[in-house]
Amino acid sequence: MPTWSEIQPFIPIGLALGGVYALSGVGTVVLYRATGVLNLASGAVGAMGAYLAWALINEAHLPSGVAYAFCVLFGTVVTLAYGLIFGPVLAARDALVKAVATLGLALVLLGLMAWIFTDQAYSLPLPTDGAGFTVGQANIDWTQVIALALGIAVTISTTIFLRVTKVGTAMRALANDREITATLGVPVRRVEAVAWAASGLLSGVCGLLLADLVALDATTLTWLVISTVAAALIARLRSIPGTFAAAMVIGLVQSCITPVQSLTQYEDMTPFVLAVLALLLVSRTRVQGLAGGGGV
Amino acid sequence: MRKRLGLRAVLPVGVVALAVGLTLVANVFGNTPKHSTRVSAAAAPKCGLGNGKTASGTPITLGAIVTNQPGTSFTDITNMAQAYFTCVNDNGGINGHPINYDVIQEQSNPTQVAADAKQLIASDHVLGIVGNTSIIDCAVNMPYYKQQGFFLIDSGIAEQCYSSPNSATVNMGPRYSSDGAASYLINVKHVKKVVFDQSNVPGTGYNVGGVNLIAKASHVPVQDLTENVPIANGDSVAEAEVQDAGVGGGVVLNFTPPEALIILQAAQQLGLESKVQWACSTPCNTNFLVAGLGSAWNNHLFVNAELNLPTAPGPDSALYQSVLKQYGSAVSGGLGSFSQMGFTEAQIAVKALLGIKGAYTVQSVNSAFENVKGFKTDLLCKPWYYGKHVPYHLPNNTDRTVTPDNGVMVQAQGCTNISNVDPEVAGVRKIEKKEHL
Repeated sequence: MPTWSEIQPFIPIGLALGGVYALSGVGTVVLYRATGVLNLASGAVGAMGAYLAWALINEAHLPSGVAYAFCVLFGTVVTLAYGLIFGPVLAARDALVKAVATLGLALVLLGLMAWIFTDQAYSLPLPTDGAGFTVGQANIDWTQVIALALGIAVTISTTIFLRVTKVGTAMRALANDREITATLGVPVRRVEAVAWAASGLLSGVCGLLLADLVALDATTLTWLVISTVAAALIARLRSIPGTFAAAMVIGLVQSCITPVQSLTQYEDMTPFVLAVLALLLVSRTRVQGLAGGGGV
Repeated sequence: MRKRLGLRAVLPVGVVALAVGLTLVANVFGNTPKHSTRVSAAAAPKCGLGNGKTASGTPITLGAIVTNQPGTSFTDITNMAQAYFTCVNDNGGINGHPINYDVIQEQSNPTQVAADAKQLIASDHVLGIVGNTSIIDCAVNMPYYKQQGFFLIDSGIAEQCYSSPNSATVNMGPRYSSDGAASYLINVKHVKKVVFDQSNVPGTGYNVGGVNLIAKASHVPVQDLTENVPIANGDSVAEAEVQDAGVGGGVVLNFTPPEALIILQAAQQLGLESKVQWACSTPCNTNFLVAGLGSAWNNHLFVNAELNLPTAPGPDSALYQSVLKQYGSAVSGGLGSFSQMGFTEAQIAVKALLGIKGAYTVQSVNSAFENVKGFKTDLLCKPWYYGKHVPYHLPNNTDRTVTPDNGVMVQAQGCTNISNVDPEVAGVRKIEKKEHL
């Protein structure tokens, strides 16, 4: 077993990953609550945005800031466009159908990335990589700090947004009962559009951060959505703080088991294992609750 | 009264901005030649007969099986072989016969790979197999190739590529290249421990086997790691490697270029490049990888180069660079060890084919391959041979070590024998002596 000093360097790595999973997870939960769509394309959208940012910097020689902004814009517009086009068409369909439809978008983007950018290695370092500080045995760079800080900031601001703003209240109402909410005069389409746009914006930001923290690789970034979805599932696709907590646990566990020789091969399984454990725990609690309450 | 900026107003602005950006990207990609675009005939490279005439006779079909899966792609090898064959076809072909190159991609599925070999030989009627580079093909199909009388000129990965009379490789493969990388760290950098990290694909035990023997002979401990690819957390991988190596230790990476780059860039972000000595097996000897690393890795990374520097001088290297530039648009990694392998395999095959008198059949083509001896190229340290009636082949057993220098590879150590401590290397040197190869 590794010692505490050996584990320390993996903590900031895990916290940074957890922060990005939280960012994406919050977007997933907000979108699901507002539209009923579990978006499986957020990783691919972010990856495509990051590749385009790479192209704008390295091929078109635009300033990095413009390219980063374009990545976020790409995520926002593509996700919003998908929501505006396919949202109404699929509104009445089963949640599974809606989720699989987003998988279609992910596969189209994945194919496009493979076609345009081939399998050569690309990298999109952020200017915050070069500098940092040391805590104990851990080297921490500013990109990791930003990833964690953004995760916390978005979690807090989204929680407040859902509680105090009209659009946030409308989103919560939509999550409870779409029919009644629509009957009450809430502009459902507009609220949904805000959710799609916000989710897309977060996809773009996550794409930039993950391209730096993990790798600018189409397959890797597209399927990192699994960790995001796992965090959202652990929070039962409802709780924003719960999604944040789950994302942090996934990121930390995934990173901190790396130095454990016997477990390191299984680190990719972390999101699945934690999601399954959480779902089993939730269902067990529910069954016990029903039994305690006199249910059959 | 303040007017609210609604979705209908904002969306078109976003779409227009997106369209401008995408147009810019499309324009850039549309106007940027990767390696290709055929240039004027005067500047065209001379391959094969070099007469500038397009071959129009009956095609000679050669085949190959290549791994292409997430995290492990060797298509640069077959794509480069294809580039050379196209150049040969534009220069008179094989005495007027163009080469038709039939490449099948596989994803490490034994059933699929077995079927692929049967398709090449029984259905597509290839006359020879050149440029094969597959994780499991040798393990699955070598008995079939032997039964069918095929002598492969290939890039070896699995142990069976190096233990059969029917396969001769231009590379030394992950095991012997890792031997070279580990030897450099132990003998030149005097590391106290070696951490060997590689992709979690079939053959990991074989790959690390030579490193274990070499380190043991020098009383240096070895720790063996494997990573699932594509690597999803380069930071953790790099941190774990450095931690395991400890102070005065070294890390040997055995990955394809994109995966190695993920680890090395993560190490750089975490400031780990100077904490230990780093080494790579041959795939890191690739231009885009070293360009992606930059000056931070000067004298911190040492790559066992099975072939020469990608930008080396010399007539064969110059031809390789020229063919890549004009015919290699599909070679995504550009100049590097993989494309060097494809080029050299194709060059050897073409020279053998040009020497055939009479009909081109499976027998005549494979006999010509088996008879190759003393093939000189500046891409290899020693002349290459196939070797008739020998139990196995390892013609490339002497190579260089290269290191990054401000974004390009330079030589750190000249041609050096791979250690005889690995018994197969010692064995092949005896064969070379006995057979005068």
